[in-house]
Amino acid sequence: MAAQGVLGNDRDGDGEYRIPFIIVCDAFQSEMTAFADLVLPDTTYLERHDVMSMLDRPISEFEGPCDAVRVPVVPPKGECRPFQEVLIELGSRLKLPAFVKPDGTRKYRDYPDFIVNFETEPGSGIGYLMGWRGKGGEKAMRGEPNPRQWEMYAQNNCVFEYQLPRSYQYMRNWNRGYHEWASRTRLRRNFDPLIIQIYSEVLQKFRLAAQGKGDSRRRPPPALAKRVETYFDPLPFYYAPLELQVTDTARYPLAAITQRPMAMYHSWDSQNAWLRQIHSHNYLFVNPRLAESQGIADGDWIWVESMHGKVRCMCRYSEAVEPGTVWTWNAIGKARGAWRLAPDANESREGFLLNHLISDELPASPAGHAVHDSGRISNSDPVTGQAGWYDVRVRIYKAGADEPHHTSPQFEEMPAVPGTHRVRRLWQAFVAGTGEWK
Amino acid sequence: MEMTQLALVIDLNVCVGCHACVTSCKEWNTSGEAGALTDVRPYDHDPTGMFFNRVQTFEVGEYPDTHTVHFPKSCLHCEDPPCVPVCPTGASFKRPEDGLVLVDYDKCIGCKYCAWACPYGVRELDEKRKVMGKCTLCVDRINNDALPEVERKPACVLACPTNARLFGDIHDPESIVSKAIRENGGYQLMPEWGTQPANHYLPRRKTELRIHPDELERSDNPLKVDGLLPKPSVKDPSLDDVTSW
Repeated sequence: MAAQGVLGNDRDGDGEYRIPFIIVCDAFQSEMTAFADLVLPDTTYLERHDVMSMLDRPISEFEGPCDAVRVPVVPPKGECRPFQEVLIELGSRLKLPAFVKPDGTRKYRDYPDFIVNFETEPGSGIGYLMGWRGKGGEKAMRGEPNPRQWEMYAQNNCVFEYQLPRSYQYMRNWNRGYHEWASRTRLRRNFDPLIIQIYSEVLQKFRLAAQGKGDSRRRPPPALAKRVETYFDPLPFYYAPLELQVTDTARYPLAAITQRPMAMYHSWDSQNAWLRQIHSHNYLFVNPRLAESQGIADGDWIWVESMHGKVRCMCRYSEAVEPGTVWTWNAIGKARGAWRLAPDANESREGFLLNHLISDELPASPAGHAVHDSGRISNSDPVTGQAGWYDVRVRIYKAGADEPHHTSPQFEEMPAVPGTHRVRRLWQAFVAGTGEWK
Repeated sequence: MEMTQLALVIDLNVCVGCHACVTSCKEWNTSGEAGALTDVRPYDHDPTGMFFNRVQTFEVGEYPDTHTVHFPKSCLHCEDPPCVPVCPTGASFKRPEDGLVLVDYDKCIGCKYCAWACPYGVRELDEKRKVMGKCTLCVDRINNDALPEVERKPACVLACPTNARLFGDIHDPESIVSKAIRENGGYQLMPEWGTQPANHYLPRRKTELRIHPDELERSDNPLKVDGLLPKPSVKDPSLDDVTSW
């Protein structure tokens, strides 16, 4: 257990754990920069090389594996540097093993060089990009590094697509042709068909370890043994979501979920003037039957409450949601002053997040409950670790007539970062190529 | 001889409401011949501004038989446009050679009569410039020799990730738009107004995939020799060793 004490042992004056040094690398002044000890300005994707690699998130089509790259189309501004270059620079200066040659000298000149020459093991022929491998770019899937690989991707619209023979494309888990091909190209280690296990050997290994059997070097922490033994059952079994087991579902009967708006990805989109006209605030979508049963009209201010917290927001009738569930868009709601918007911006006055209703830890269970032992437990699936945020249960009720018509909670306006200012214009228009706002 | 009538066909079966057409339209036009499309109170409460193309999302039916429909709408370039005869200055006109309905900014006085006349609500007043703006079917792209031929289409058509927007001549029975209308039950909006809108919409419909038996049998390896080649060892490095997916 001594080894475990080395990491994460930093504490402050009150004895609380703390993260000793936070570096944030971002192209925007995201919320995290307020907590950073060091901010490194990142480029946007237009100003750097990127890979969409099979080693990370395969973008593939049904017809076969694909990968893709981005090449810079505009130069970086100011002191911005691509975050990958920064990481490779740091790794090389710290002489981390992956970044130095056996004689201790630097292995990779920069990120494009790293992508071309990195192999998962020396001579494996497997790198970040599958296309145009081999000395002259004549190989696909695996082959020697090709110094002109970036050039060849760029000439092919920055994408590589491998077309499998049609007969390999179907029922791949037991398609012999597919497995022959996949193991020859080293996508897979062996040739065996992939059978869905109803009785899972993998889960059983975990359960046996929790029961004190099997390799004695592999044991879960004692406080978690009962939890592992319960949930790592090799046969599937039903149990109610863990948070649900400790929720008063008579008081909080409704499920609550969120999803991303199609046109927005993350919170930083709210600095975009055009996108603000598409999404500037959000509503809680409620089935009309459910809303009417609570005397809530379309557009009314309501409270949504879980055992962890509550928010005030506006209700929107929707026939596209079942009566036992309510939902809203995430990403839109903002704290006052965030993203340098006006203090009365819709994002903070009428927008909201469901986050205040959700806990990242499960509430303590009553003693003797089979759910888990006492102590703090992450609100996540006991086997996969997937966050259990959508297990939250809520209730809704109409806000009082005398309550203010804005969302709750509200926060103190975020202060401006030194050297920045809020843009205040009545009119604005963007014309490409001038580099100016009119 | 039939005169050309250029138009869009918008496929409601595949539109997902992503707004790529909305933003690519504004991006092209704000920097082009149509002039800067103004935003009002861009970083304040209730931002608003000029768009030539908008997507409305609405629900049809009652739970559980609900459809959520994403409905892009821009000027439909009517064959009998009501916005043209009402214009006091002649700024609103329909081009005979290709059927586009356009606005001449030099003549437009921003009186908004055309917006009142249009039953589809697709003409907007630019509050700053005080002229009426609307979809031009990217008149500055479609005949533009400076663009590669494949890009001589409206920006929205190129931007749509689901190929929900088609562009062509609805008076040419063999054009992609005429075929789409004919084969998929394409329809006009509010035909009772007599405007004969050129833009058409394709309704929601089921999609089928057919697989033929001869696609399942590999014809380029009749002796199945590939399987007889020496196999790599399972200990050879593979992606299985380094990925978590």
